[in-house]
Amino acid sequence: MKAYRSQPRIFSRRDPDSRRAELDVSGLTLQFGGVTALNDVGLRVDTGELVAVIGPNGAGKTSLMNCITGFYRPQRGRIRFNGRDTTHLPAHQLTGIGIGRTFQNIELFPGMTVLANMMLARHMHCRYRLMPAAFFTSGVRRDEVRQRVILEEVIDFLEMQAIRNTPVGSLPYGMMKRVELGRALALEPRLLVLDEPFAGMNLEEKEDMVRFLLELHRAWGQTMLLVEHDMSIVMGIAQKITVLNFGQKLAEGTPEDIQRHPDVIRAYLGGDAT
Amino acid sequence: MRMEPVPLPQPQRPEGSPPSDAAVDTLPKMLARQASSPDGHRTAIREKAYGIWQTLTWTEYESYVRRCALGLVSLGQRPGEINGLILDNGPEWLFGELATQAAGAISLCLFTAAVSDELAGALKRVSARFVIVQDQEQVDKLLEVRDRVPDIRHVIYVDPTGMRPYREDPWLISFADLIARGERLERERPGQYEALLKKGRASGPAVMILTSGTTGLPKIAMLSHGNLLAMGTKWRDALRIRPGENWYSMSPPAWIVDQMWGMGVALVSGMTMNFANTPETLLEDFREIGPHLLITSSRFWEDMASRIRVRMGDAGWLKRALFSWAEGIGRKVLEAEERNMAIPLSLRWRRRIADRIAFKPLLDRMGCSQLRSAFTGGHPISPDVIRFFRATGLNLKQCYGLTEAGGIFQVQPDGEVKPETVGKPLPDTQVLIGEDQEVMVKSDANFTGYYQDFAATEAAFREGWLRTGDAGYLDEDGHLVIIGRREEIIRNKEGQAFSPDYIETRLKFSPYIKEAVVFGEGKPFLTALVNIDFGNVGAWAEERMIPYTTYNDLSQQAEVADLLREELRRTNERLPEAMRIRKFILLYKLLDADDEELTRTGKVRRRFVYGLYLPLIEAMYGDLATLPVKGKVKYRDGQIGVIETSVRILEA
Repeated sequence: MKAYRSQPRIFSRRDPDSRRAELDVSGLTLQFGGVTALNDVGLRVDTGELVAVIGPNGAGKTSLMNCITGFYRPQRGRIRFNGRDTTHLPAHQLTGIGIGRTFQNIELFPGMTVLANMMLARHMHCRYRLMPAAFFTSGVRRDEVRQRVILEEVIDFLEMQAIRNTPVGSLPYGMMKRVELGRALALEPRLLVLDEPFAGMNLEEKEDMVRFLLELHRAWGQTMLLVEHDMSIVMGIAQKITVLNFGQKLAEGTPEDIQRHPDVIRAYLGGDAT
Repeated sequence: MRMEPVPLPQPQRPEGSPPSDAAVDTLPKMLARQASSPDGHRTAIREKAYGIWQTLTWTEYESYVRRCALGLVSLGQRPGEINGLILDNGPEWLFGELATQAAGAISLCLFTAAVSDELAGALKRVSARFVIVQDQEQVDKLLEVRDRVPDIRHVIYVDPTGMRPYREDPWLISFADLIARGERLERERPGQYEALLKKGRASGPAVMILTSGTTGLPKIAMLSHGNLLAMGTKWRDALRIRPGENWYSMSPPAWIVDQMWGMGVALVSGMTMNFANTPETLLEDFREIGPHLLITSSRFWEDMASRIRVRMGDAGWLKRALFSWAEGIGRKVLEAEERNMAIPLSLRWRRRIADRIAFKPLLDRMGCSQLRSAFTGGHPISPDVIRFFRATGLNLKQCYGLTEAGGIFQVQPDGEVKPETVGKPLPDTQVLIGEDQEVMVKSDANFTGYYQDFAATEAAFREGWLRTGDAGYLDEDGHLVIIGRREEIIRNKEGQAFSPDYIETRLKFSPYIKEAVVFGEGKPFLTALVNIDFGNVGAWAEERMIPYTTYNDLSQQAEVADLLREELRRTNERLPEAMRIRKFILLYKLLDADDEELTRTGKVRRRFVYGLYLPLIEAMYGDLATLPVKGKVKYRDGQIGVIETSVRILEA
C-alpha cells in the first residue's frame, strides 16, 4: 500500500556507524603531462552532508571526482575516507568500502534491462559461492530474493516501475540518468558521488531529480558529493559549496557565502566584480 | 404523451444466488458480512507493489476500514458530514470511502487531475470536513486554496513521499497515522465500530458523484447505500458473478463505473478488486491480472485495436499471413452468427484452428484471455472495432447507464449483440420511452437526488421514473437504441432533425479526426469544427515529407486539408442528406478540459464551444476562404496565453 511507502530497507536498517562517511582530501595535485588539472586542492565532506563542487568548464571538477573514486592517480596529496588512506586504491575496492558514483556521460549497458543493470550493483553484496549457485540451492534462492527486494525498493523510490523490464538503450536521456542513480544507490554507498546528474536534462526531469536527491539527503541521511553546472539547483540544495577554477580551489562555504564571494563572481562573469 | 410502460421481457433471475438479507442494508455492513463469512480468508484486494501482487483478504480489508473509520471518529468526524477524496485507484481509496460511510459520513470523490480551483469549488460547495488525498501533489493544491475552504479540519495524505518538510503543519495527517489513531481508539473503546455500523440505514446517502454536466455548474448526485447494494445485486444476478472473479480497477474513482463496482458489485458478489502499481503500469499490470469482466470507454478498445494493427504491421510475414487468415475466418463466423445462420462444419473446424494458433495467443497477449464479458459504454463505438474484437472471440458488448441511475443498467445479453443497440435492462429494472422519445428508467438503484438542488431533483423524475435526458427507441427485439442527448437533437432551417452527437461519433471513426463539433441549428446547412489527430496526421505528413512544427501549423497545411476533406466526404456518404457536413474548419488548437471546452470525462461542452468559436462558425456560413483568429489558451499552471493565426474554411 502506498500509505506505507517509506525508507527502503537498505537505509532504514543502517546503524549510525555504518552510515559514517568522512572524506578528507588534502593537497591534491593531478597532472596530465604538462597540464595541471588539479593544483593543491582540498575538500572535506562529513557524514550526512550534501556538498557541491562547482566551477566553469575545465576547472577540474570531474578530475577531482575521478581521483576520489579511484579512476585517476594523483601525483601528490592524500585522500582519506573514514580515517583510511584511499589515495591509491582501485575503483572496485573503493565501492567495497562505501563510495558509489554516477557518471557525467551515462555508463550503463544499453542492451540490458533496467533491472539487469541494477542487479550488477548487488553483485558485491551477494553472499553465495559458485557451487551452490550452480545448483541454485535454497540458500542462493533466498539471497537472490533479498537482493531483488532491495532493488524493488529502490525502483519504487525512484518511480521506475514502468520501465523495470525496458532495455536501457531505448529510454529517454533523463530516465537513463535516473537508472544510473538507482544503480549507484543499490551499491549501498556511504558516500554517493554524483557527476553532473542534471546535465542535458529538461526542466521536468531536473525537478524530478531534485526531488529524489532532496528526499535521499533529508529523509535518508545519505551523504552526497555533487558536481554540477546548474547554479540555481546547487544553491538550492547544497549545504556546502567548493568552487574550483583552473584546477585551483577558489572558495569554500555556504551557498550564501559563495554567492557573495568576489572571486567566484569574477570567475563566472569575468572582469571585475561590482 | 405515452406514459404506459412498454412491456419488456424481464430476464429471469438465476437460481442459486440468494437475495441479500434485510439486515445487511449498508455498504460497511456488507463488508463486515463478507469478512465474517467462511470465505473471509479469500482475496478481496490485490495491488501490485515492489514488483509483486500483494493481497489482502476480506478480513484484512474490514480491519483496515474499521481502523480508518475509528481514526476519522477520533479526529472528530460526525454523521452526516461530507468527506472529499482525491485519490488514485488503490486500496486506500476503498478504505477511505468505506470508512467515511462507516462513520456515517458521505464520500465525494474528485479527479486527481483537477486544478486547485476546481477542487476548492467542489469542496466548498459540500463543506467537506476531511479530505483524503493521494500525495504531495494534491496536498500542494489544497494548501494553495487553504483559506477558501475553512471547513476542512484535516487533510489526510496517503503517500508519505516528500512530505517531510510539511511535518510541522497540524492540518496534514498521514494515512498511516489515521490508522494508528483508529487502533488506539479501538483499544480504548472496543465495540465502538459495531455501534457505528448499527446506525447506518439503507436510505442514508453513501456516495456523492459530480455529474459531468456538459452545461453549467456540475450537479452533485447522491446515491444511497440501498442504491449501490441494489446495483451490485442486479449485476451479480445478471452476469452470475462468482466470488473471487477479478475486476481490474482502471477508471477514476470519481466516476460512476468504479464506484458502482468497488462500492457495489464487488462488495455484494465477493469479487476481487485489482489495482495497478502506478497509472503508468496500468496496461502491463492489466495483462497479469486478466480480468473476468470489464467496463471501459470505447476509446480503450479503439486504442487497443490500433495497437494490434500497428504491431501486426511490424510483425514478420508468417505472423501477418496467419493473422489475416484467422481474421478472415473469424469474420465469416461472425457474419453467420449475425444473420442467425448455421455455421458449416468445415468453417467451424477452421475457426477452432484459428482460435488455437492465432486468437488465443493474441487475447492472452492483450490480457483478455479470461474475459467473460467486456462492456463498452459512454460513447458509441465504431462498428469496425466491435467486429474486429468479436471476430477474435472476445465477448465485447455495449452497455448504457448514467450516474443518476446508479450506474449501468442496460447491457447486451450474450448471443444478442447488435452493433447499434445498448441491449436490455438488468433484473428489476424497467425502461420506458416517454415524451419526445426520452428514455426513462425505474429501479431501486435510482439516485436519491441532487445535493442541495431540489428543483433539479424534481425535474429529474416524472411519476417515479428517472428521466435520462437521452432520446432513444426500442427495436423489434426489445433492445434499446440511443440516438443522443435529448436537448441536443437539433433542427436546421428547414426543420429537419439531426443529432450532432450522432454525426460527430461517425466522423471520429476516422483515424485522422480526434474531435469534431457539428453546428447548424436554424441554418441552411451543417458545419463542423474539426480537431485533427496529431499523432496520426503527423505520421501521415512525415511519410509524405511534409514538414510541420506545431499542432497549429500541421492543422493548416494544404495537404492536410485535402486529406481531411476526403475523410469528411467518406463520412458524408454514409449519412442521410440532412445530416451531411458542407463546410468545416480545422481548429488551430485541441479542445481541452483545462480550457473548459471538454468535461473532465472528455465530452465536448457544446454550448460553451459554440460561444467561444462563434466568429468561426458564423464565418462558415459566409463567403470567406480564410479568417484571422485570436484564441486564448490556459496552461497547466493557470497562465493564459494568446494564439494569433488564421484558419482556412474548407468545403467538404
